[in-house]
Amino acid sequence: MTKFTSRTGLSRRTLLKGAASTAIAAGSTTLGAPMLWAQNIKDVTIRQFGTGVSNLNDVANKVKEDLGFTLEMTALDTDSVTQRAATQPNSFDIADIEYFICKKVWAAGNMQAMDTSKIANYDKIAGTFRSGLLTPESTIAQGTAPHTVGFTSGPNGTDFVQEESGWMTLIPTIYNADTLGIRPDLIGRPIKNWSELLNPEFKGKASILDISSIGIMDMAMVVESMGEYTYPDKGNMTKEEIDLTLGIFTEAKKNGQFRAFWKSFDESVNLMASGEVVIQSMWSPAITAVKSQGIPCVYQPLEEGYRSWGGGLGISAALSGIELDAAYEYINWYLSGWVGGYLMRQGYYSAVPETSKEFMSADEWGFWYEGKAAEGDILSPTGDKLAGAGEVRDGGAFLDRMGSVVCWNSVMDENQYMVRKWNEFIAA
Amino acid sequence: MEPRSKSFYVLSAFFALFVLFLYGPTLTIGVLSFQGEGGGLTFPMRGVSMYWFYDLFEQQAVGDIWGSFRRSIVLGFMVMVTTVVVSVIGGLAFRKKFAGSRILFYLIITALVIPSILVSLGVGLLFSQSGLDVHWSTSGFGAQLTWTLPFGLLIMFAVFNRFDKSYEEAARDLGASPWQTIRHVVLPIIAPSLIGVALFGFTLSYDEFARTLLTAGSYNTLPLEIYGMTTNVTSPVLYALGTLTTLFSLLIIGVFLALALLSNRRKARAGSDAGKAV
Amino acid sequence: MFMKKLLENHNVTGWLMVSPLAAVLLIFLVMPIVLIVIVSFWRATEFSIIPAFEWDNYAFLFGSPVTYTVFFNTFKYAFITWAFTLVIGFTVAYYLAFHIRSLTWQIALFLLCTIPFWTSNIIRMISWIPFLGRNGIANSTLMSWGVIDEPVEWLLFSDFAVIVAFVHLYTLFMVVPIFNTMMRIDKSLIEAARDAGANGAQILWNVIIPLTKPGIMIGTIFVVTLVMGDFITVRFMSGSQSANVGRLISNDIALLQYPSASATAIVLLTTVLITIGILLRFVDIRKEL
Repeated sequence: MTKFTSRTGLSRRTLLKGAASTAIAAGSTTLGAPMLWAQNIKDVTIRQFGTGVSNLNDVANKVKEDLGFTLEMTALDTDSVTQRAATQPNSFDIADIEYFICKKVWAAGNMQAMDTSKIANYDKIAGTFRSGLLTPESTIAQGTAPHTVGFTSGPNGTDFVQEESGWMTLIPTIYNADTLGIRPDLIGRPIKNWSELLNPEFKGKASILDISSIGIMDMAMVVESMGEYTYPDKGNMTKEEIDLTLGIFTEAKKNGQFRAFWKSFDESVNLMASGEVVIQSMWSPAITAVKSQGIPCVYQPLEEGYRSWGGGLGISAALSGIELDAAYEYINWYLSGWVGGYLMRQGYYSAVPETSKEFMSADEWGFWYEGKAAEGDILSPTGDKLAGAGEVRDGGAFLDRMGSVVCWNSVMDENQYMVRKWNEFIAA
Repeated sequence: MEPRSKSFYVLSAFFALFVLFLYGPTLTIGVLSFQGEGGGLTFPMRGVSMYWFYDLFEQQAVGDIWGSFRRSIVLGFMVMVTTVVVSVIGGLAFRKKFAGSRILFYLIITALVIPSILVSLGVGLLFSQSGLDVHWSTSGFGAQLTWTLPFGLLIMFAVFNRFDKSYEEAARDLGASPWQTIRHVVLPIIAPSLIGVALFGFTLSYDEFARTLLTAGSYNTLPLEIYGMTTNVTSPVLYALGTLTTLFSLLIIGVFLALALLSNRRKARAGSDAGKAV
Repeated sequence: MFMKKLLENHNVTGWLMVSPLAAVLLIFLVMPIVLIVIVSFWRATEFSIIPAFEWDNYAFLFGSPVTYTVFFNTFKYAFITWAFTLVIGFTVAYYLAFHIRSLTWQIALFLLCTIPFWTSNIIRMISWIPFLGRNGIANSTLMSWGVIDEPVEWLLFSDFAVIVAFVHLYTLFMVVPIFNTMMRIDKSLIEAARDAGANGAQILWNVIIPLTKPGIMIGTIFVVTLVMGDFITVRFMSGSQSANVGRLISNDIALLQYPSASATAIVLLTTVLITIGILLRFVDIRKEL
């Protein structure tokens, strides 16, 4: 494994972060490591890959600072991530993937289950990921809910079990509730329903994402909102339901409803920022990216609810010895709050909100989690202004947003059929 | 000198338009790389600044530009050298029709026309089914060679087709061994074409995307890294990178031209006219 | 003694010299293709492929109407791109070969044309949006000249955009072979035609074009195969709304459906090889280089 050569040279960003993080690092160093361990671990390199959502170089820097070993990150798009997890087990140590990807690739046996007794903050993980219930009164949303693919039977299990077995497939780290993004200045009226995506008023100005597992869920939300059909389980459609859903959208496509489809994050940002599109499926950081360019963009809460996704860290089956120990260290550190705070300040939710709270200012916590109006400027972790005083986060409080989740990104039983039909939709 | 006919001016205008068309995206990239700090990848321009050029040299939020740049350069050189050597030797070999050369020739044509994604898929499958790890310096290297070698070989075939054998005969008559003939007669004459092959090989490798997509392994080359970044990054730093690479290539070509001019002048002074034969 | 005899046999020396080439082609071309053929008969699950021998993949491929639409699209793009690159490429090559007198200038102008291609393909593709988009340079310029009142939608994310991108990328591949062939035309033939009383157009039609046919053929082969094999340009410039065969394959690969990707790939390869075979009937490429 190659050594990660760190770059010298300070920028004003690193100086600012350095000042803040030294204060925090003092409090969160690893639990009294013996000298030998501390010496050896400096030579360890952990290779992590995942989508760009959390494969942030800032995290790697902090790991080096706090834990001593080197974290090498590779960011890929969703499909490539799936591919690598399934077919190149020797190319990674940590996989940072979404739960629906886990459902696809777990049985390949390239990852090992994690012993929850070694996870210090296990009990503080949000209930969504353990029992499936956010609060005791929650209903479990449709689709591939994380807790259904979160536990396995034993250290080498390749199956999923439906209780908290003590062996997790992924340690949850991040999740969010997704909805449609709009340009309020170009639309000019309130948008309340998913069905607005296919509204002929926006002909030639709509877009949807070209990732089948996620796009099909958005499509289902739209179809249900239009009143065309009510799905028993959006996350597990029958062949006829798939045909119905894609049929409606194919017709819309032929009528010129869509300007383009996007497959990568920055395409969605470009489409919105340039005004080519006024309403589209979007991801939360894309909204902030458009906003930080000074262009009004709203992540619109809709009556029918949100689609949600969750991601976590998994360990390669090939990992053992000191690297495996380092991996557990890393995961424990991940859940101890610094990363959680960082992610939450971008608009995501940390799977362990309690520890993340310690790394956010009261104003930030109020804005991002509690849905309160901001008291001062809200800045992103990289210093860009995301909201001003008096603004409220789109959608409000955590419980309002995550409480209105009605479906998760999913892998269906009829997945291969769905993929084929999706290809036909694109080619139509 | 004959006077220029009317059609010269018409065609010149056409050519100028064509070049403008070719440079359209490059110019757009150039303009947008001076995007202001708050700007995005599209118009409107939000101020003008050199901000993104500085940003390029800092660590990005996601992605490792300089690491992948280094890998691309190394891989490009590996491919370039291999292509030149193999093309020259291959070109020399093909001058005589040896048994089976027809089949080999058609294989070369096949390598040229095969859709790149097939090479990627096939090589990726080959390595994964045989349990080997894909790595940019092995599988990526090989996959790119299937693209650059046919180009290099075709150029060499063209060169050798026009090559005047009488120079070699003269050398042989003067008592030169085959190796001496190659070193002192053939190589100097085909040297300009070799530079062309080298440039081609490097350029094709440096910008290669489809064939390396599945064969690069854990560490990306520059095109793959940029592709990965476009899935998460939205800043004009990519444009700054584009402008810099354009300037970089202008520089390289300038260097090459200067070298060529120098060597021409040196040869003229020495009274040699090698290279004029082809 | 035996070695010396062996080395004098030009078949042996020939093969020795091309052995690295042959090795590369064997490992990285022949074996992968064979493997793709084999895998095209396998079955796939979500994440793995299972050795089998079934025609399912091919059956699905030929049974789906999408296949035909997509192949039709592929040919459509190839044909239109070919037409444009031929006209533009021929004109440019003609200009460079017959109107530019010195070799230095020819090389300089060539290099001028190749510089844009040193910038990464991906970055150039992203830049088409600010160029052709609703608020982009093209539309703004047209509006400021008063040619149009509202931004033209179909400049981007349409077939037009795809063709523009293809022509942009591949015209040079047409220019180079045609230029090459033009340079080899014996100038005395043109003089003879002029002496015999032919005007410019007649010279072009009766002398130059027939002699340039091999170059045109080679350029056609390049352009057609490159367009047929492309998948990124189509996806990006059409806004993912249009597909060609390359996209089908890349979608399948992305979803780990290697067997069906392989089946589609084999069909594509066969189609391309047949097309090339037909084109090669018109020119003996070994001679005409």
